[in-house]
Amino acid sequence: MTTSPFLIMNNIEKAFNGVPVLKKVSLTVVEGEIHALLGENGAGKSTLMNILGGVHQPDHGSIQINGLDVRMSNPRVSQDQGISFIHQELNVVADLRVYENMFLGSELRSKLGFLKVEEMCRQTSEILAKLGVDINPKEYVRNLETSYKQLIEISKALLHKSKLIIMDEPTTSLAEHEVKRLFELMRNLKKSGVSIIYISHKLKEIKEICDTYTVLRDGELVGTGSIENENLDTITKLMVGKSISQERLVQKHSFGPVVLEVNDLSSQGLYKNITFTLRKGEILGFTGLAGDGRTELFESLFGYRKKYTGQIKINNQLVKIDHPRKALEAGLALVPKDRKENAIIKDLSVIHNMSLSSIGHFEKAGFIQEKKEKDRFHYYKERLNIKVHNPRITIDKLSGGNQQKVIIAKWLEVDTDIIIFDNPTQGIDVGAKHEIYQQIVSLAEQGKAVIILSSEAPEVQKVCHHIYVMYQGEITARLKGEQATEDEIMSYATGSKREAEKIG
Amino acid sequence: MANVNTIKQPNPQTSSTKSRLTWLWSEYSVIIAFLVIFMAAAVMNPRFLDINNQLNILMQVSIIGIVALGMTVVMLSGGIDLSVGSVLVFVGVISVLAMNATGSIFVAILTALVVGSFAGFLNGLMVAKGRIASFIATLGMMAAARSIALYIAEGGSISGEVSGFTVIANSNLWIFDFPVIIFFVMTALVYVLMHKTRFGRYVYALGSNEKAALLSGIRVDRVKIGIYSLVGLLVSVAAIIETSRLNSISSSSSGVQYELDAIAAVIIGGTRMTGGRGKIMGTFFGVLILGILNNMMNLMNVSPHLQGFVKGLIIIIAVVFQKRE
Repeated sequence: MTTSPFLIMNNIEKAFNGVPVLKKVSLTVVEGEIHALLGENGAGKSTLMNILGGVHQPDHGSIQINGLDVRMSNPRVSQDQGISFIHQELNVVADLRVYENMFLGSELRSKLGFLKVEEMCRQTSEILAKLGVDINPKEYVRNLETSYKQLIEISKALLHKSKLIIMDEPTTSLAEHEVKRLFELMRNLKKSGVSIIYISHKLKEIKEICDTYTVLRDGELVGTGSIENENLDTITKLMVGKSISQERLVQKHSFGPVVLEVNDLSSQGLYKNITFTLRKGEILGFTGLAGDGRTELFESLFGYRKKYTGQIKINNQLVKIDHPRKALEAGLALVPKDRKENAIIKDLSVIHNMSLSSIGHFEKAGFIQEKKEKDRFHYYKERLNIKVHNPRITIDKLSGGNQQKVIIAKWLEVDTDIIIFDNPTQGIDVGAKHEIYQQIVSLAEQGKAVIILSSEAPEVQKVCHHIYVMYQGEITARLKGEQATEDEIMSYATGSKREAEKIG
Repeated sequence: MANVNTIKQPNPQTSSTKSRLTWLWSEYSVIIAFLVIFMAAAVMNPRFLDINNQLNILMQVSIIGIVALGMTVVMLSGGIDLSVGSVLVFVGVISVLAMNATGSIFVAILTALVVGSFAGFLNGLMVAKGRIASFIATLGMMAAARSIALYIAEGGSISGEVSGFTVIANSNLWIFDFPVIIFFVMTALVYVLMHKTRFGRYVYALGSNEKAALLSGIRVDRVKIGIYSLVGLLVSVAAIIETSRLNSISSSSSGVQYELDAIAAVIIGGTRMTGGRGKIMGTFFGVLILGILNNMMNLMNVSPHLQGFVKGLIIIIAVVFQKRE
C-alpha cells in the first residue's frame, strides 16, 4: 500500500454571515485508507465536506489532489477529480431499475440515440461482482434492502472511477448484518486503492473499520492521528471538549405526584419496551443519537402515531390517545422539532399562531374576539420576551428564537400539566437558547411536568433532573442529571455501554 | 385611480414608499385590477355604464359567484372541488322531482340543501378518511353526479310544475334581483365564517401546513369534511337559483364548466392554488372581473367561440402577476 497523500486540505476557513464555521482546518487522506471524520453536530464536518464536494467555496485555504492544487468551483469539478459523496439520505430513484440508477445522467447510447441496455447491464454486473454481490441489474431498486441501495451508490462511485468516497453516517438505517456487509465492502475498496472518508458518531464502528481519524470541535481541528494508538475515551473527550460551561440551570426541588406513567411501550421498528414515570415539577431529558426513536416515541404519546402497544397513564388514569386533540384534552402538549415543518403556520399571523390550539378561550357566541386574542398575546410577549414589532405580520418573518417562543406561548395558553419539548433550541442563537431553557426551568418550578428531547447532551445535563439515554429504540440508561457526565451519556448513546448489562 | 398611476411608474422612490406600494399591490391587487378593467370597459363602450347593464352583470355572475365562494374555501384548504357543476345539476334534478311529487316549494329547497351537502359530505369523506387526492375524489363525483342526473332525466330537461317556484330567481327588491341579493348575503356569511370563526382559522391553518395544524390539536379530518359539505351546501343554493330562473333544469347542459369558471374566479381573486392564502373578498372581485369581461365581449360582439380564449388569457396573466409577490 502506498502512503502518498491523495488529498490535502490546507488551513481551510469558512464563515457564514460573519459567523466562522471552520477555522484553519486541515485534513490529509492517504490513498487506500479509511479516514474517520468526527465531531458533534455543528462541529463543521458537513461544511468541510461540502467544500471538498464543491458545494461551498472556502474563504481561505487550499485543496490539493495528488499534489496538484485544485479549485473546487462546483460539484462537477469535484466529481471529475474522482470524489464521490454518499449522503445520509440515499439519492437512488426507487422506481427505476438497478442499472438505470447506475447510469442515471450518463446513459450509454448507440449512434441512433437508443439506450444500450445490454451493455449497461453488463457493466453493472461487472462492478457488482467486483463488490462481491449478486443482484440482477434489471431488478427495481424499491425491491432491494437499504444496504443494497447504498451499494448502488457505491457502485455508481466506482463506475465514475472515484478515488475518494465520502460516506456520511452510512450505518444509521442499516441492520447489523447489513453493517457487516458494508464493512466487508469498504475493506475491498481499500484494497483496490480507493480512499474513504467515514463520518459517524458510532465510535465502536470507527474503531473497527477506520485507520486514521480527524476530530473537529466548534470549527477547529482538535486532533488527528492513527486509530490504533487511541482508545475510545480519548477520542470522545476530544469530541466533547471540556471548555463547555457546565453550569446547571435547574435547582433541586421537591416533586409532586406522578402525572405520567408509561409502561412497556413498543412500536415495530421504532422503539421497544419503553417504561418511565414523570412527576409534577420534574424535568426529564431524553437524549441519544439521531434515529434513536425518541421523536417517534413521543409522537406516539401525543397521538400522532397510532400503531403501538403498551400502556399510558396520565394522572393515574389509563388513556387511549389516537389524535393530538385527545392528547391536549388529557393534558399533554408537544412542542415539536423541525419548527418549520411541524409547528409554525407560516401564512397565519403571530397572534393567530399563538391562539391556534385554544381558540375556545377567545370565543364569544361562536365568534373570535380579536381584541381578547391581542391582549393575551401581549401577556405572553412580556412573559416570554418575544421580540416582535407588529404581531399581525405572518410568523415566518420572525427569527427562529422568537418563532419558538410563540409556539411555546401557544402551548402555555392550552395550559396542560405535561409539556414535551422536542429539540427546543434547534436553529436558535445562543442568547435565545439560554432564555428558552430558563423558561422551561421556571415552568417546572411552577409545577408543570416537563420532558426535553435533545441530541445535545450538554443541554439536557444543564436543565434536567433525570436523563434517559436511548440507543436504537431502547432506553439504555437512566442517569441523575447532576451526576451524568457527557462521556457517560455518549457511551450509552453510541451503544458501547448498556445499563441493562451492568445490572443483569 | 391615483394608486394605479403611481404603481405603474417605476420611479426611484425611497425604499419605504416602495415597500408600502408593494404591500398595497399584494393586498389589493384584485381590487386595483378590477378598477382598471372597469375603467377600461367604461371608456371602450359607453353602454357598459348603463345601470341596467351593471345590474345585468351582477345577475349573470350570481350563480357562479355563489359556487366560487365555496371553491375559495376548498382551495384555501389546499384542495379543489371539480364536482360543483355536476352536483349542481344533480341537486336541481332531484329537487324539482321532489317538488313535483309533493307540490311544495319548501320541500324542494330542503331537498336541495340536504342532497347538495350530502354530496359534499361524500367528497369530504373520500378526501379526509379515504386519503384520496381531492382532484381525484371530486373528479369521480363529477362524473358520477352528472351521470345519475342524465339517467333520471333521460338526458333531457325536467321542469317544475308548481307555480311560484320561479319567484325565487325572478323577483327583485328595489333594483336588485333576488339572486344578486342572495349572492351578496352568501358572500357576507362566508366572509364572517372564514374570518371571524374558528372554522375559518382552521381552514387557513390546514391549507398552510396540514401537519402543523394536526400537531396543534386540530381535528383536521373533521374540518375537511366540513369544508366539502359547505361547498355542497353553497352549490345547492346556486342550484335552486339556476332551476328557479327558467323553472327547469337540463341534465345535459346545465352547470357545464361551472367548476372551471369558479376556479378561474378564485385564482383571479388571488387565492393560492396550494392553499393557506387568499381572501373571500378577492374571489368576490374575481367573479366581478369575469362578469365584466363576458359582458364587454358581448357588447363588442366578440364571437362566443373566442370568449374562452380571452378568459384563459386573463387567468394566466393573473397567476403570472401573483407569482411576482
